Amino acid sequence: MKTDDLIRVLAADTLPEPPVSGRLWSVLLPAVVVTLLANWLALGLRPDLVQALGNPVSLMRFVLTCALAAVSIRIALGLARPEGRGVVRFWPLAVVAGAALAMLIWAYVATPAEARQMATVGKTMWVCLVFIPILSVVPVATLFWALRRGATTAPALAGAVIGLAGSGIAATIYATHCTEDSPLFYITWYSLAIMGVTMVSAAIGARVLRW
Amino acid sequence: MKRQMDDWAQLLAAANAGDARAYSRFLRSVAPMLRGLVRARAGSLGDAGCEDVVQEVLLAIHLNRHTWEPTAPVRPWLYAIARYKVVDAFRARGRRIDLPIEDFAEVLPASPDLDPTEAADMAKMIGMLDGRSEKIVRKIGLEGASMAETGAALQMSEGAVRVALHRALKTLAVLRQRHIE
Repeated sequence: MKTDDLIRVLAADTLPEPPVSGRLWSVLLPAVVVTLLANWLALGLRPDLVQALGNPVSLMRFVLTCALAAVSIRIALGLARPEGRGVVRFWPLAVVAGAALAMLIWAYVATPAEARQMATVGKTMWVCLVFIPILSVVPVATLFWALRRGATTAPALAGAVIGLAGSGIAATIYATHCTEDSPLFYITWYSLAIMGVTMVSAAIGARVLRW
Repeated sequence: MKRQMDDWAQLLAAANAGDARAYSRFLRSVAPMLRGLVRARAGSLGDAGCEDVVQEVLLAIHLNRHTWEPTAPVRPWLYAIARYKVVDAFRARGRRIDLPIEDFAEVLPASPDLDPTEAADMAKMIGMLDGRSEKIVRKIGLEGASMAETGAALQMSEGAVRVALHRALKTLAVLRQRHIE
């Protein structure tokens, strides 16, 4: 086939594709609702949720995980563009990570030495490490579905950012159940769960985001 | 050169708004740049082999044209697609190619009248489409038929032809990945 003939065929196809961001927002809200419901049915809300939101140290986990999700979604949308790798700014991720680290150090200093170990290990470490990844499945899947219509030139990186966004959403939702209020607990274990999801997502991205 | 870039942005914006003629001009004006790039890098593939790669890149540009943001410059977007697909095309053919982005700035477009080359891969993949899609692509591409004529010939509504063509082009990209790798 001659290139001119191919161009004639391509030009004849005028059906528009919706932009990636439109696709993403249209599925993300239902994904969040499904995940909220799953969390509520499987684990339930903590009974003192409203009071906990009034406690700044406890509230910070919502702020951090929400910020992680928001920043990562923005970066993922940037990476969905072919030239995105060179255009996207990654420093907001570093700000979120820095804030989490600062919070961890502050809690370490503020917690009496003999209470540190108990605060860190907590009582629900395994629930946290199992459920954050499980709750991540739907948000991560919908993000992949949306980004497959993009054209990322960094598939593994985009996959990793999707993992951060999806598990950020999952961790925010899980936090409505979790009663462990020490940053020593939630920063340590939430981060570990989020990193696990991120690594798996990077591997998935390297396969499914190629085009 | 600068003027050409502005033209590209205008043409692509019009194309994304549904202007088929602007789109056709855009692709025709981009093709020599791609051809120059591929030939400078891969003369050893032969003319037909190079044209295969050019056509793969054009198909990728087409299928991803919605990822261009009208406020962003066209050139980085275009080069990023070209680079990704050229590297991919070479990997699929068992070669490695190093393609620094700076190279794009220096590429001299191949002269437009150097086009007569027939490439083989795309025709092969069109042959792998289902019968109706294959007919649609051939009618429009090789016979230059319009949507309405194609619809009449295949006893389909014009809208159905449009949808079928859109799907067929997406399928071509999938076939290429399966077939060449």
